Amino acid sequence: MIPAVALVVGVVLGLTLEPSVPLWLQPYLPIAVVAALDAVFGGVRARLDGIFDSKVFVVSFISNVLVAALIVFMGDQLGVGAQLSTGVVVVLGIRIFGNAAAIRRHLFRA
Amino acid sequence: MTRQQPKHRPKLGGMAVSLLNELLTNTLDQGYAEAATRRASAAEEGTAAVATASAKVRARALVSVGLLLAGLLGGIGYGQARRSAPESARVKLALIHDIEQRTASSNALEHTLEQLGAQVARERDAALTASTQGTTMRTELRQLESQDGLLAVRGPGLTVTVGDAPPTEQTDPVTGQKVTIPPDENGRITDRDLQIIVNALWAVGAEAVAVDGRQLTATSTIREAGGAILVDFFAVTTPYTIEAIGDPDRLLPRFVDSRVGQQYQTYVGAYQIEFDARPSEELTLKAASGSDLEHATVLPSSAGTPSGAPSSAPGGAPATSGTPGTSGSSGPPGTGPTGSGSATPGGTTSNIHSGGGT
Repeated sequence: MIPAVALVVGVVLGLTLEPSVPLWLQPYLPIAVVAALDAVFGGVRARLDGIFDSKVFVVSFISNVLVAALIVFMGDQLGVGAQLSTGVVVVLGIRIFGNAAAIRRHLFRA
Repeated sequence: MTRQQPKHRPKLGGMAVSLLNELLTNTLDQGYAEAATRRASAAEEGTAAVATASAKVRARALVSVGLLLAGLLGGIGYGQARRSAPESARVKLALIHDIEQRTASSNALEHTLEQLGAQVARERDAALTASTQGTTMRTELRQLESQDGLLAVRGPGLTVTVGDAPPTEQTDPVTGQKVTIPPDENGRITDRDLQIIVNALWAVGAEAVAVDGRQLTATSTIREAGGAILVDFFAVTTPYTIEAIGDPDRLLPRFVDSRVGQQYQTYVGAYQIEFDARPSEELTLKAASGSDLEHATVLPSSAGTPSGAPSSAPGGAPATSGTPGTSGSSGPPGTGPTGSGSATPGGTTSNIHSGGGT
């Protein structure tokens, strides 16, 4: 319950505070959001599977976001930033899809 | 080589398949499973009996912080995307606002100018009518002014409407949205077109001509700046209404049969431009806001004598000359553009002059 509230509070804070994101960080923000989404879906699924672990969740969340941003950053430096971010989005998208399907199976038994 | 190939291929294919398989089946982080097995083995050994309340609270706080961060990231990302997407639209809105403001202040200034001009004319008339010499001068002056478009005039005439070709609407094959495509170069009316049409109207005997409500004087300019057509530095937009005062029964056939009239009628078919000329019972043309004095300067002393009159005659048409068109510093007689007189910065100086005044 409290974690769910924390998520909502985070979204509201992010929307209302409107912190100015530095320009050099802006290209990595969408990728970071997708990575965070993947971590959250993974956590929910693990919870439903009964194997949730808070430490794994937090570490995987932070590392996911950082690694995704790092890959895109490296791609930008090498001149293949657009392609690499597409790759990252595809992989994370597949994972989100799979986890969402698992959550659905848990919730609806279908 | 030929023996190696079949051996190598299935391996690569299998790798690719396994990669996709891995991606599609193992969507959950391996860490959760490992942690679970670790916990299970620890429970077996009995060392994990320290699952105290404080540890539970700490775990929950950790998850809450993580989710708070995730939510924050999502919120910021959303806000950023929403704010940056309509950036161009907001800039455009701000520009439109600026334009409207400047136009309003320019209109207000123009209004003041009109009022002051009228006041000057009143004062001048009062001063001139004091003497008989002045009275004749005043009539002369009024005649010259009306010929030069400096007085409001009214009468029957011709209304010519020209406009850009209408934009075509197409459906974008990718997005499926309706896109309006502006007319290409050929379908756009340029300053040159307006100049040609206005000159043709003068040539067929128009006594006064106005473009979009702006009466043209001897030194009026029609030119283009940044894709906008400016008449005496005021922007006009399509469709352009050109009003010419004169006998419609004489003007209309002569204009329509003129080379320019014929030319633009073919353009209607060829480039879909708008071109229409119709007689009008009565047209009222506003007085042009007087032109600047370019060569005359005001004498320092209070020169109330009639000899000082040229300095107060607007439009560079000194009141001392009787015949219209043969005098003046800025109105070359009869032919040619008034290029030298009207100092337009750069670009095309229109060859419009008030020739052929009846």
